[in-house]
Amino acid sequence: MNKPIIPDDTATPLRRKVLRGIRKRPTTRGAGILLACLVLLAVFAPLIAPQNPYDLATLSVMDNRLAPGAASMSGSVYWLGTDAQGRDMVSAILYGLRTSLLVGLLSTLGALTIGVAAGLLAAQLGGMVDALIMRIVDFMLGFPSILVALVLLASVGRGVDKVIFAIILVQWAQYARLMRASALVERRKEYIEAAVNFGLPTPYIMLAHLLPNSIGAVLVVSTINIASAITLEATLSFLGVGVPVTQPSLGLLIANGFDYLLSGEYWIAVFPGLALVLLIMSLNFVGDRLRRSFNVKGG
Amino acid sequence: MHKQTLLACLLTTCLFAGSAHAQPLRIALGSEPTAIDPHYHDLTPNNALTAHIFEGLTRQDEKQKLHPALATSWENDGKNTWTFKLREGVTFSDGSPFTADDVVFTFCRTLKNETAIAGSFADITGNFESVTTPDAHTVVIATKAPEPLLPTFLGTVGILSSSIVKHDKLSFDIGKNCGVTGTWPVVGDFNDGKLAIGTGPYKLKSYTRGSAIDLDRNDKYWGDAEPWESVRFLPVPNAAPRLAGLLAGDYDVIENPAARDLARIKDDKRFGYVITPTTRVIYYQLDVGRAQSPFVKAADGKNPLQDVRVRQAMSLAIDRKAIVARLMDGAAEPAYQFLPTGMFGTLPNPPELRYDPAEAKKLLAEAGYANGFQLTLSTTNDRYINDSQITQAVAQYLTQVGIKADVDAMTRAIYFPRRSKKELSVALGGWGSTSGEASSFLRQWPATPNKEGTVGGSNYGGYSNPAFDKLILEAISTLDDAKRSSLLQQAQTEMMKDFAFIPLHFESAVWAHKANLTYTGRSDQFTLAMSVKPVK
Repeated sequence: MNKPIIPDDTATPLRRKVLRGIRKRPTTRGAGILLACLVLLAVFAPLIAPQNPYDLATLSVMDNRLAPGAASMSGSVYWLGTDAQGRDMVSAILYGLRTSLLVGLLSTLGALTIGVAAGLLAAQLGGMVDALIMRIVDFMLGFPSILVALVLLASVGRGVDKVIFAIILVQWAQYARLMRASALVERRKEYIEAAVNFGLPTPYIMLAHLLPNSIGAVLVVSTINIASAITLEATLSFLGVGVPVTQPSLGLLIANGFDYLLSGEYWIAVFPGLALVLLIMSLNFVGDRLRRSFNVKGG
Repeated sequence: MHKQTLLACLLTTCLFAGSAHAQPLRIALGSEPTAIDPHYHDLTPNNALTAHIFEGLTRQDEKQKLHPALATSWENDGKNTWTFKLREGVTFSDGSPFTADDVVFTFCRTLKNETAIAGSFADITGNFESVTTPDAHTVVIATKAPEPLLPTFLGTVGILSSSIVKHDKLSFDIGKNCGVTGTWPVVGDFNDGKLAIGTGPYKLKSYTRGSAIDLDRNDKYWGDAEPWESVRFLPVPNAAPRLAGLLAGDYDVIENPAARDLARIKDDKRFGYVITPTTRVIYYQLDVGRAQSPFVKAADGKNPLQDVRVRQAMSLAIDRKAIVARLMDGAAEPAYQFLPTGMFGTLPNPPELRYDPAEAKKLLAEAGYANGFQLTLSTTNDRYINDSQITQAVAQYLTQVGIKADVDAMTRAIYFPRRSKKELSVALGGWGSTSGEASSFLRQWPATPNKEGTVGGSNYGGYSNPAFDKLILEAISTLDDAKRSSLLQQAQTEMMKDFAFIPLHFESAVWAHKANLTYTGRSDQFTLAMSVKPVK
């Protein structure tokens, strides 16, 4: 075969193109490195953190509200101070990051799975099934997600699992809509028609052809949605319906610290807030870059 | 042109000045009242709010001393009969006159109150044998058991107007529906303002749950007119925004700013504050009545809270002084009984509830729980001062002696109904003595509920101690003060042995306000517009 006269951009493997896109831009590169660091800190939190902030036996009220750099009763140093329960803020933030990322990843994965399945079914089967699924999607997207999650959690109570469930419930519809749109485009292409004319079974066409070729956009959007899932968790915890009080996430730490801002004990709210901002920002930068590289709209 | 501008400026200034004058007195509440219905829930924020609109036959001042209100005088025949002379010339805010019929109707309603939480005021009126009205301004009450505190109690029962329901001749005859032919009012009828008709210094303008409660001065009030044309109560559950709102000029008075934040306004000439010791005790109520408790998990499958050694160990595990110092910033007193020492019927020298984790562990081991058990402490997070933080700290202390404690913190609107449905195992509670006597807590919480509903209305933990019951029942029907005081002390000692209730501390109440106002702090923790006066 002859080489085309105009160099074809698609000749460069997509993966390399995307990675180059991230490496070349200093902000995105910085964000990527920061994100990697935060993820590592969260994953290895139990090894790094000086204290297990969820183990009440290691806390002491006598050490509460100490300023950053203060020494504990047992002699160790609280580098970022302690909160009202005497929790070491460094440890609390590391464990909080863990909760945030866990909630972000699991809820996005759950929402993605449900949304993709629903979108794919709607696009492939069409007709009544399509109409039914898309009306449910419209219904779900009609409510502000924070409201739905608040109502749900207010009735089922606190807990990491419940928060994840609530976020899945409010986010799957976005994926369903996006998946359906890109699958509909893909379905009109010749190779799918060929497969249909070949007499291949519908489930096979859906899973082997339609799914891998139309999921790209959805996956990219999901990286940004991890950030919004984390924000949603933080908001819910801040409002007092998210995680249990004895296992604070970043949002709950900020909420707790909020009460002490006026008396000048800034570190209880400010440092977890900073950690949350860095996490969300780095996720958004990386996600945004991915979106541009893949030229995905919406999400 | 210039003149016009000047005129416009002047006009705007006048307008602003005018509106500033008509602005309501704005009071930020830490704990929102749950209803306008004065008989819905016998809860301090509710009683404080409804005291603006409804009055009792008597009233208590800021030190809980008794004064006449809708009754001008009362006397007792030395036994069970009380005669109350009612104030004449009083009208309700809708213009109807106040008579003995309204009193009878109100007493009936407390017993015909389907929407009430925890029996509310039925513990008072349930003890009435008969109520008769020799004339329009005399009420004679005969009680089943002698009730030395009747005038005090009747200060808490807000009098409704009998005009709010259809009725024939009213009488205190529950069997005949008291003569009422219409439907008995429920909580919602008051909240939407329809039936919120009282004799108090203010009347309800609007009630929007979670947002604001607006009151207007009641121009038909029989007493001295209040200085404020209108009052607005705003629920602001977080202490920091409450104080920030005062600093920013959004509120005129706030209740319970955090003690740690008082340094902010201490040297500021624009603000002032008052700290008042209160009768409110904070404690845990333990589920001791059931072999299985919803939030307790022990290896042996039993409910360890039924073992007195476990309960005593829990008390020994808690460092009350540390909680007062570190979480309450000193604005509280460790509690070793259920009403502050010195008040009527309290022990002069209650044995100190020590912090002794070693002893606690020993007791747990003796009870067969050397490896502890699992327990969830339930708490409000918007009712008592630092409630959720206190419970988390207690969970720490319990964990440190081997009881794996967790905390479930929830908003009061969910918490209180759940607690009264006995869905909790260890529940945080707070109780301010309405009568200023030790009997207030003892008859309401640890007493075994009786048929008449006069005692044990809040005994959600199923505690039952016949020796204690005998003492408290005798105490509350003893008219002789010295004897009653001694019986109350014995009752207190008897129930403390069982640790079915673990006291933590007594709250101190704080109010902060603008410097152009004065506030009279109350030991019952009521936040009242009537306590706010302009500086002359």
